[in-house]
Amino acid sequence: MVSRAERAPHPMRESGMFTAGLRHRVGRFLLIGIPLAILVIWTTLPILWAVLSSLKESLEIYESNTLLPANPNLDGYRTVLAMRGFDSWLFNSFLVTVVATIVPLVLSIFAAYGFARYAFRFRHILLLLYLVPRIIPRVSLIVPLNSLMSDLGLINTYWVLFITYTASAIPLSTWILVGFFAAIPKEIEESATMDGANMWHRLRRVILPIAWPGVVTAAVLCIREAWNEFAFVLALINETSMRTLPYQLYMLKDSMGVQDYAVYNAFTVLTVLPLLVVYLLLERRVVESIVSGAVK
Amino acid sequence: MSTPLVELHELRKSFGPLEVLHGIELAIEQHAFVVLVGPSGCGKSTLLRMIAGLESVTSGTIVMDGRVVNRVPAKDRGIAMVFQSYALYPHMTVRENLSFSLEMAKTPRDVKQERIESAAGILYLDALLERFPAQLSGGQRQRVAMGRALVREPELFLFDEPLSNLDAKLRVEMRAEIKALHQRLRSTTIYVTHDQVEAMTMADLVVVMNDGRIEQLGPPLELYDRPATVFVADFLGSPAMNLIAGTVAESEAGPVIDAGDDLTLPLSPGSAVRPGAEVVYGLRPEHLRIGDGPAGLAATVSLVEPAGFETHLHADVGGQVVRVISTERLDAVPGDSIALVPDTARVHLFDSRTGARL
Repeated sequence: MVSRAERAPHPMRESGMFTAGLRHRVGRFLLIGIPLAILVIWTTLPILWAVLSSLKESLEIYESNTLLPANPNLDGYRTVLAMRGFDSWLFNSFLVTVVATIVPLVLSIFAAYGFARYAFRFRHILLLLYLVPRIIPRVSLIVPLNSLMSDLGLINTYWVLFITYTASAIPLSTWILVGFFAAIPKEIEESATMDGANMWHRLRRVILPIAWPGVVTAAVLCIREAWNEFAFVLALINETSMRTLPYQLYMLKDSMGVQDYAVYNAFTVLTVLPLLVVYLLLERRVVESIVSGAVK
Repeated sequence: MSTPLVELHELRKSFGPLEVLHGIELAIEQHAFVVLVGPSGCGKSTLLRMIAGLESVTSGTIVMDGRVVNRVPAKDRGIAMVFQSYALYPHMTVRENLSFSLEMAKTPRDVKQERIESAAGILYLDALLERFPAQLSGGQRQRVAMGRALVREPELFLFDEPLSNLDAKLRVEMRAEIKALHQRLRSTTIYVTHDQVEAMTMADLVVVMNDGRIEQLGPPLELYDRPATVFVADFLGSPAMNLIAGTVAESEAGPVIDAGDDLTLPLSPGSAVRPGAEVVYGLRPEHLRIGDGPAGLAATVSLVEPAGFETHLHADVGGQVVRVISTERLDAVPGDSIALVPDTARVHLFDSRTGARL
């Protein structure tokens, strides 16, 4: 039988263990905690600054350097919401984002499935060519696109935004989905084939649910891309009522003479807010899918 | 005799310029349990996948129930298949996994329910129906994979190395369960494995494949007792058959095999072999006895493996390592000199050039 005295750890050993534990904790803090804190500050500070500035009075930003507003108020937001055309800009942004998310996603799902599952000639080269639109600087596309769309009579229409946004989003979402689809063991799909599923059933009932985190990731990127897009809308739209929120945000600067940073930041916050909500909602769905999917 | 359920005629498969199956001829009767066995790369899985419809046929025909099915898509062949990795749908519960094929076939709800419950009962899955595959053990996943095949009540079951991912104990248990299931349902089964013990214990008909060809087919014990080639002799049986190359020579007692290094292997007196012929002498480890006296082949023990019921012995005989199985408890240790007595009535002789049985 072991006596209590024998069982008690040696004082020297105990202090050694304590030092080792402390070293481990300090090391973890230095390696993970500090970089994480820097990253959080780096990403949230500009948003925080914008939110706080949007609550300041019109000229307060020129008068004091403090971060917190002296008299927090919602005047900036009232001004923005009262702007003539705000609801059209919001609607335009919403519409093009919905179309430029759903259409590229549907097309990418089929394209990615083909790339991931079927061996055909020039497959790799085609997949590489898919990336070309992302490699070419967007600015360099503006002039030819403007000229092309003018010839087609599409300038100042939703179609021009649907087409350009969709074309721009497809390569990215296809590449993401190819990776996710290819990672699904081929046997699972063969098993569905043996179970009597045709290609459509396999894709809808087996592949897509398993690759759901990938679909959501691609969707989030499409949404972000369309919602924040600026270069194309600037080049292809010149009617005020057809502007999107980022475009109007840019125009706000010129139209206000002396910069009203409270209004400017309120507009920014209202522009970012829907995206933030979508991010938070979908991020949770991605995590849920990854956990419940549990692909070996 | 009934018409075979599956017939393969001159079946060939090529991947580009590489031909992997060279004219397979095989007929599988209704209710049979056929095991395709062979080493990795022999073409057994490719053959199974061709029967399933997952691989195209380069030439030849696959006939099922009297109908050529070469161009019939896999989903329309009415075959159920169990994959090596189980290939369960990870996002579906066990119940949904079982019901998927029935949904595809638009089976009425009550029939679906009945079949799922019946399969779950047979395979002890009742308590697991609401779980996801990730929440199951390897053996349970294997059962779900079988259940998924079972609910369809197919004419033909295909198993592609279904036990390879299980540990040794579970493999033995599942082997017995699959065989019991077959005896109960009497459904025609084609089972692929590289494990000759699985082939021997489960099959009605063993098809030994090598390098894209059928080396020999027949009931398990027939193949074990009368292997048609050196390859089959070597492949079936654990430990493997002792195979020693030599030349037929004459002695006073009749023909013997001269294996070089003063090693002379006895044959039964009536053996009809031509003196001077180059042969491979085959003898299963259980057909070598440790002699009581000096009579027999002089050997030196090199390794002793007590396996409980039997003891496996490796011995050096004239520079050749031979394996011996004894059901007696042996107290031999490496380095001991012993005499080995072959059971000459059980000797297998093969042509050393063609490998064919003489």
